[in-house]
Amino acid sequence: MHTEQNKIFQRNIKPDKGSRDSLIYTLGIESTAHTFGVGISENDKIIANERDTLKPTSGGIIPREAAMHHFKLAPEIIKRALDKSGLKLKDIDLFAFSQGPGIIPALKVGAQVSTFLSNKYKKKLIGVNHCIAHLEIARLYTKLKDPVMLYVSGGNTQIITYYNGTYIVFGETQDIGIGNLIDKIGRRMDIPFPAGPKIEELAKKSKNYIQMPYSIKGMDVSFSGIETFVSKLIGHQSVEDISFSLQETVFSMLIEASERAMSYCLKDSLIITGGVAANKRINEMGAKMCKARNAEFKQIPMEFAGDNGAMIAYTGYLMKEYKQEDLRIKPKFRTDTVEIKYR
Amino acid sequence: MKLLGFGSEAAIYENNSFIIKRRIKKDYRIKEIDEKLRKNRSRAEFNIMRFLYESGLNVPKPIKYVESKKEIYMEKIDGKRLAESFSLEDSKSIGKMIADMHNLGVIHGDLTTANMIKKEGKVYLIDFGLSYYSLKDEDIASDIFLFKNALKSKHNEVYREAYAMCLDAYKSQIRKEFKGIDTHLKDIEERRRYNESY
Repeated sequence: MHTEQNKIFQRNIKPDKGSRDSLIYTLGIESTAHTFGVGISENDKIIANERDTLKPTSGGIIPREAAMHHFKLAPEIIKRALDKSGLKLKDIDLFAFSQGPGIIPALKVGAQVSTFLSNKYKKKLIGVNHCIAHLEIARLYTKLKDPVMLYVSGGNTQIITYYNGTYIVFGETQDIGIGNLIDKIGRRMDIPFPAGPKIEELAKKSKNYIQMPYSIKGMDVSFSGIETFVSKLIGHQSVEDISFSLQETVFSMLIEASERAMSYCLKDSLIITGGVAANKRINEMGAKMCKARNAEFKQIPMEFAGDNGAMIAYTGYLMKEYKQEDLRIKPKFRTDTVEIKYR
Repeated sequence: MKLLGFGSEAAIYENNSFIIKRRIKKDYRIKEIDEKLRKNRSRAEFNIMRFLYESGLNVPKPIKYVESKKEIYMEKIDGKRLAESFSLEDSKSIGKMIADMHNLGVIHGDLTTANMIKKEGKVYLIDFGLSYYSLKDEDIASDIFLFKNALKSKHNEVYREAYAMCLDAYKSQIRKEFKGIDTHLKDIEERRRYNESY
């Protein structure tokens, strides 16, 4: 296995001095939530993407435990990424880390590790917005130039699109994230974290729709009403029917809001990213919506849809000319506050 | 019948000086959700339009509603969409118009410049597909908040001035105490995720 890998990345093992000069190697660290990921890019090409995700045995993510997990595994995952790329730390030209949004203790690990490495090797450090990194890696792999992005994960639910030099959040959840909603309801039905895959499986077994609140406010969506409503159904309706109705309702809302954004901003493509993008039904709905309006829909490889270090490395590479003064973590980093100079 | 275009949820046709808005089926949604949404939204939209028109607000005159086809017939406003022709001076009349509508107890639910038409210097409000009745400060605030965001995403270069002008006109026209609305406006901004407190 190892020799095979070395063969794939052979050209990087002993970098030829001449060609090496024009290449920029970026190492990116992702640690906003329960995933610690390290990615390495060679210019705009991803050459390593390693990660480990904390899986709580019961309940959800405890911030302190996530931080401990990242701290313990950081050296090993960095080493794995380096081995895969055939590089040494001294070969890295640029370090990047996920500056936010995210959970404070988890964010601190990525910030500390990358700051240490950048100081030790005297290389530039770039702070990357996690949500923008999701969009950039999605654009890289789908080759869509100017899509609307539906970013759905545990904590994040945003509809983002590029406009006038920034990524604008066109619509978002007014309360909890979609993944969070699914996990909360899952927990009440005794489904362990993350509940998404199990809920998807249960949903396939039902065609019986239970009417639920459909809460869309202009471009924004709201989930807290549904959470209360569904909680009261548990025990009275079958888990299959609840799962089916929940998925159909919330995904319809999200796809409707995405369609509004496409229509309003005159964009003709959509991508769905984030952990919830693993769900087949939401992708099917997105594809159908796009087909009906003659727009393009593309799926991103799941490896790059969930949280990963590669997207941080790649976005760090794009931002290589940025002069950043504030490299502290930003737990509430808003997508629309970053000026986009590379597009 | 001539097809004028598609909105995100409806097809718009023109037939002798009438505009017909037909809510189209969305095949990404299951029938149980789609049918009910289209029926409820069309019916509510027609009723609210009639109420606003009869109250003297600048909206197209509603003619009839055909439930089987989810079609609303209305008079045509022959003007330009504000999304393409927005200028700062329009902010004042928009602010006044939104206040008038809120005074009547109607929340628009989708206030964007794409839903406004300018004709002979007057701004008309269209598309009441997400509208509902409410006099609650919170609902009023969410309507204003939506418009602020719409300005920001579509008219970013003039958004701050436009919003300030709009709000001034709004305050002078609204009959309710603005303070209560303002509290909710601030609350909504804070409630959204990841608001940086500067």
